Amino acid sequence: MGTMTNMKQMEQKLQKADRKQSRLYLFCNFMALMIISAYSALMLSPTVQKVFPKGGDSAKQMYMIFVMTLVGCVVFTIYALGLFFRHKSGQLGVLMALGASRRRLAPGLYQEVIFLSGVSAIAGTAAGFPFVQVIWQSFRLFLVDSSDMVLMFDFRCLFVSLLFLLFVVGFACLTAWRYLKKTNIMEVIREEHINEPVKELGRWCGPVGVLVLLAGAVMGYQAPSAWHVWFSAYPPAWAGVFYAPVFPGLYMVMLHTVVHGWKSHRKNPYKNIISRSMMKFQGRQTVNNMLVITLLVAGGCFAIFYVPTNAISSLIHYASQPFDYFYNYQADQKVPDREEVEALGREYGLSFKDWKACGYVTLGIGGDAMIEEEDGRSYHIEYVEMKSEATVLSEDAYRELTGQEVDVEPGTYFNLTNEEETALFTNESAREFTNMVTRTKLATQFAGYLYFDLLVDVDRDCCVLDNEDYALISGGLTDDWRGQFVRFNVDGEDSYPFANAFYHRFVSSFDASCERPSYYDRVQKIRENEEGKVYWGDTDDMTTISYDMSDSFMFRTFWVYQPDFRILNQNDYARNMGVMFMMFLFIFLVCMITAMVVCYTRCQSIAINNRYIFDDLKKLGASPAFLDREVRSQCGSVFKVPSLVGTSAMFLLFTMILYANDGRIIGAEWAAMGVCLCITVAIGGVIYAVYRSAVKVIKGQLGIIYVRK
Amino acid sequence: MLYVKELYKSYETGKNKYEVLKGIDFHVPQGEFVAVMGPSGSGKTTLLNCISCYIPFDKGNIRLGGMELAGMNEEELARVRNTKIGFVFQDFMLLDGLTIRENILVPRIVQEEVGQEAEKLADQLAAMFGIVHILNKYPAEISGGEKQRAAVARSLINNPLIILADEPTGNLDSKSSRAVIETFIHAKQKMNATIFMVTHDSFSASFCDRVILLKDGSIYRQLEKQEERSVFQDRLLDAIKEMSE
Repeated sequence: MGTMTNMKQMEQKLQKADRKQSRLYLFCNFMALMIISAYSALMLSPTVQKVFPKGGDSAKQMYMIFVMTLVGCVVFTIYALGLFFRHKSGQLGVLMALGASRRRLAPGLYQEVIFLSGVSAIAGTAAGFPFVQVIWQSFRLFLVDSSDMVLMFDFRCLFVSLLFLLFVVGFACLTAWRYLKKTNIMEVIREEHINEPVKELGRWCGPVGVLVLLAGAVMGYQAPSAWHVWFSAYPPAWAGVFYAPVFPGLYMVMLHTVVHGWKSHRKNPYKNIISRSMMKFQGRQTVNNMLVITLLVAGGCFAIFYVPTNAISSLIHYASQPFDYFYNYQADQKVPDREEVEALGREYGLSFKDWKACGYVTLGIGGDAMIEEEDGRSYHIEYVEMKSEATVLSEDAYRELTGQEVDVEPGTYFNLTNEEETALFTNESAREFTNMVTRTKLATQFAGYLYFDLLVDVDRDCCVLDNEDYALISGGLTDDWRGQFVRFNVDGEDSYPFANAFYHRFVSSFDASCERPSYYDRVQKIRENEEGKVYWGDTDDMTTISYDMSDSFMFRTFWVYQPDFRILNQNDYARNMGVMFMMFLFIFLVCMITAMVVCYTRCQSIAINNRYIFDDLKKLGASPAFLDREVRSQCGSVFKVPSLVGTSAMFLLFTMILYANDGRIIGAEWAAMGVCLCITVAIGGVIYAVYRSAVKVIKGQLGIIYVRK
Repeated sequence: MLYVKELYKSYETGKNKYEVLKGIDFHVPQGEFVAVMGPSGSGKTTLLNCISCYIPFDKGNIRLGGMELAGMNEEELARVRNTKIGFVFQDFMLLDGLTIRENILVPRIVQEEVGQEAEKLADQLAAMFGIVHILNKYPAEISGGEKQRAAVARSLINNPLIILADEPTGNLDSKSSRAVIETFIHAKQKMNATIFMVTHDSFSASFCDRVILLKDGSIYRQLEKQEERSVFQDRLLDAIKEMSE
């Protein structure tokens, strides 16, 4: 007969019978670990690390979304473990009731959970690498490829996966221990059938939740600026806590969704009463899951919105620039002259027009500076002579270069800004310019702004002086403090191969003295060295760039003499930004996959937990159409509300960011928002498709045969 | 055989404390079939769970076959549950992944004492309760009445001192209920089993030798059967009516 004779055999048979539950648990763990492993592998890979500047906003956003994904995966694995143990507890309780002591049950239980969590976690961690490789290579194959995009791994990322793996296995063991520790066997037996109702709040909780959510978002966003204004100090790292009200606000919104729903039921108070009560009785887990889904959808949208908001303004900027070719160089460099450029152009069948070359000088400019206190956090504003480098043109040179009329009064200066006036850190407080060779000073004062986008550099002021003042202050400057601006147009259609060839010849004509990023400030270096300090640009903190990598993102973004060749910028934009954009696209995919898996699993548990209610409803004569509506009503709440809240919140946040930049939304930003809106609609379409598929599967599991007409 | 003395049990919910059992006293001798009845919330199931060592009690004594349950450690209590008590649940609590034969043998498997003798006994019990034809089936493949008879067979596999049954007919139709009660009577007659059953059903209780009526955590009255079953059922119904007035 082959009857089992011992506990081990029995446990093995029971485990075999519970394959379905085990598979669900394995799948959830596997997914969570794969996502964490893939995200950390890509995030910490040298490929991505060299593109995301340390401490930069993009890097912070990448880490922030990683933390959100991590939290999502933690909640998700805890939920999956809870489902597994809810099912397991009935079995454990019966065995305890029939006389199996905890000591007898412990080895088998620990062995099972360690095996399941360990295997799924290790497999998930390992799968993360091929997963990221497949996605990344697909990006390279179908979207964009560049030398920057060769994917390399830093296997220290395994440390993150290992920590998560230990958490998964450790938490599984802790849960097993908690079950075995229970003294009330009936509690263990009934665990599977225990509901988790949420504490109900009145109908006010939804609208109040929305207000709290918005208040948190505004407070969190404004806190750093307010901190600067009120305390004259950099906001501390914990300033993020001002975003905290977002979470109770979100919780209240989700609670309202589960308990009351958002539709008014005054006309028909019994509509959806069954589905609503089913959700209420599993409310705690449902609300938690919906919170996680919201965060993941929001994280995904944040990542994907980043791409158009950055790309569109740049592409519009390139398209609207008044010259096809605009560049500058230090006067001591042997850059191709007009003849050479025209000869090169002829090789590509091009002729040029509107050629203009004008000299400029680099001077020290004074200005108000934020001087850090010793604590490194608070600061005060103080006027500093030779604060930084400034590119300075005479009014004649400016007129020739830009075609704009300008009249500068002696003893004054105009500063350049872009036409949208969104350029930051323009200096209005300078009282003098300094010739860095002779140390002659020219007293000056701010006269106003001129507008010419191609001369605006985020890392240095570009100023225009009266012709005589210019001649006076620039006398005695050596060639390394002098330079030339050149601009010209192509007569006819431009050629990318020419632009590419010219770019490489241009870069190769510079010597090592110019191999520096644009934010390396020679004036600041001289001043600090004279004060006996080490300039930060001479420390390891400074980004290094190399002529050997002239096509890399780093070089093209940060090189001090990076030229503006319209056709090159337009064609290479996706390639230059490839790693950054693809990283954000990857984050979007990871967040959305995780969110959809959580949605799908939650809907599955609705079917599992409420099967007997649906059976009863059938017995009470409920029509397939009614049952179909009940399923859709519950799944709909899980899918729709978090998706709607997540996408809308991010859309509003981006609108707020774009508006807060300069107190208005300009043309390129409207275009970016339009693209974001289209993306939101597309995301909605995908979520709806997953929702439909989940409903179909659940209806199949519950035996509901109904096709909506 | 079973002595329950001054038994107290309370539950705490938040800041509220609910006294569920308030000094219960009774004795069940070997071979007696006793039912406990009472309205919802009277403490019937709590009493049963305390006797079966499933939940700890606050105060009092339970003595089973000469052993004091209070003060026993976890291992000793598990041994008592395995060897001295057979339990029948309202919702059967068979393990879905095991066949009916294996389910009947679970208490022996827990002891790791499954041999030919145990298998023979399982077959005998199955024959006694009319479930031989389902021995190789799984719980999902059989009816509620068959499940409960299998659960009764499981409760007897270790020849326990007492069978504790919590609403064993609560989930069954009248035909299956009768079949289950007959298995208890059979066990009592053939094996001299002692049975302590909690029930709401006066019909099932009317088969018992004695019925203990519980009200608000105390024994309201005890009724001994001295007459025909149907007359005893009428007397029971009168007593229940009187208790609820």
